[in-house]
Amino acid sequence: MSPYLFIFLVLVTGTVSGQNLPRDADGKPDLQGIWRPVNRASFDLEDHVARHDMPAGISVVDGGIIPYQPWAAEQKIQNFENRASMDPLNNCYLPGVPRIMAMESPFQIFQTTNHIAITFEWQQVYRLIYTNGSPPLYAGIESWMGNSRGHWEGDVLVVEVIDQNDKTWLDAAGNFHSNEIHVVERYRLIDKDTIEYEATIEDQNVFTRPWTIQLELQRQKHMNGILEYQCQAEKEEENGAFERDENTWYPALIPPNNEPFDPNAGQNIPLPTATEDISRLSDGTPNIGGYYMADAGGANYGLEEHEREILLPPSRGQVIDPIDGILPYQTWARSERIDRQLPHRGYDDPTAHCFVAGVPRSHYVPAPFFILQPPGYIVVLHERMSWRRIALNGEHSLPDTIRLWQGDSIGYWEEDTLIVESKNFNGKSWLNEVGDVVSHMQTVVETFTPVDENQIIYRATVSDPIPYTRPWTIEMPFNQEDEELLEVACLEDNADLQHLKDVQDEYRQNQNIE
Amino acid sequence: MISFFKTTTLLLTFSLTSFTNNAFAHHAFAAEFDRDKPISFTGTVTEMKWANPHAWIYVDVENSNGEIINWALETRAANNLIRLGWRPGDLPVGTILQIQGWQARNNTPTASLSAATLPDGRPLFSNSPN
Repeated sequence: MSPYLFIFLVLVTGTVSGQNLPRDADGKPDLQGIWRPVNRASFDLEDHVARHDMPAGISVVDGGIIPYQPWAAEQKIQNFENRASMDPLNNCYLPGVPRIMAMESPFQIFQTTNHIAITFEWQQVYRLIYTNGSPPLYAGIESWMGNSRGHWEGDVLVVEVIDQNDKTWLDAAGNFHSNEIHVVERYRLIDKDTIEYEATIEDQNVFTRPWTIQLELQRQKHMNGILEYQCQAEKEEENGAFERDENTWYPALIPPNNEPFDPNAGQNIPLPTATEDISRLSDGTPNIGGYYMADAGGANYGLEEHEREILLPPSRGQVIDPIDGILPYQTWARSERIDRQLPHRGYDDPTAHCFVAGVPRSHYVPAPFFILQPPGYIVVLHERMSWRRIALNGEHSLPDTIRLWQGDSIGYWEEDTLIVESKNFNGKSWLNEVGDVVSHMQTVVETFTPVDENQIIYRATVSDPIPYTRPWTIEMPFNQEDEELLEVACLEDNADLQHLKDVQDEYRQNQNIE
Repeated sequence: MISFFKTTTLLLTFSLTSFTNNAFAHHAFAAEFDRDKPISFTGTVTEMKWANPHAWIYVDVENSNGEIINWALETRAANNLIRLGWRPGDLPVGTILQIQGWQARNNTPTASLSAATLPDGRPLFSNSPN
């Protein structure tokens, strides 16, 4: 931002004292909300004229020019010329920091005393910024998005990002860095709808000195929430590598030969009750924030009980309704479930492609997750790189035509149980590796009941008239641990998919299937 | 080439419980690997790729023709190993491993690692690196 514009804003809004800024319960400037950068920096941080794939833009770098070492300036030119093949984002990879902050899509910030989460549309990536003063538990472990620790300096949120790998770029023009990159971000709320964002980049392997970019982030007042952009899934649907399931994907219809669905067949199983005192927030609401791992009992290998087999872990069975533990499949859907477990169908499981696991599978894939309780929301950050936003006491706001991997979730507290209702699913998910079936018509009612300081009893009731004859419910404990999330760069390291594809290709060749 | 590695009694001796949960976390192992293709050999580590949801150990193995084949062995999630205390470098190049697993259905030198034993007899990744 130019100094004149800043002075103008200060004069008009009187924010130089910060007295008019929205503030959180701790008195910190309240950054919570949906934001979007106003610039062309995602194309090129420096001045650039327009090209076919790149609108023109003015440099956001202090001094205009990135201070490369001579060899690195040469490398940047090579990167630019080969950007169509070399840009990591063209492979849908994780963007790194600060590139993710400058991208076109809006993102949502959630703010609590000890953590700030930023959720993005791109590949459902998120950042979890620790503001509780704790040092990184796993310092030195490199990742695509790095490790972010923040603190407040007056009204400015300062975030240090360490341990980023050398595989990301800084923009689409080939500006790059090494794994020595150290980023310091500054988030300054200058009025209720504008964040002045700065990132200072230091990397002695690539640059001659530290340098800074500055972006303006604008609040997206017209948006209730951000959506999803599953880049890799969209790419594979377009090129045919991930095929449509006509039975489950939106807008599949209820098969005409289905048995009638009985929505009232579910049993009314009383909610669990706390066995000890539970942790509470200052307003008395149960405090369920923190790191959890599901004691899933093998749900990812089948929701119905089965013994261990070679190359298939056992499942203790998680279905509590129906009481016999058997999922109430329609006849055709049971056949489909059995077929999905055959070797040539392994390729069809969306998580084998590293796509988002959906609901409830995200909670038992297995990988840990982190729950945050910012004002008005429950936010779940899954280590297998995806997030869920649950708006408290709200109403579903998406039109029927907008379909998401994680659905549209609203929640409310009933005594000490969090109840979450979700719909608007896309029907692309499998419930586990053996292919338990779910469709776009699923609605999910989940209950999160804390039963002591370290455990939540989780239930999910799935109502889906396409594959089932009646609703069913699973149950499992979530155990809280004193741990931190790491990063799963699944797509970036997916060495398995080609093997699964080979198995499917060979099967189809033998069956003469196109 | 594969028949060289096959022994019908192997299945009885495999540890089925050594790599649970996080080893099987991302795709159907029974779809990618073949329970009818058990492998058992000694290999020399050439690389370990710290990746998620599965890390990979690459080992050189001599086959019956005296050729060196580089096998890719799929193991647990890197994050799982990190939480156990393992770090990149804790499995040095040159480490000799006794290996058991199941080969990929597409017959490439790729396997799901079911058990690996270090020269001193300790099971690999059983606990902390030390």
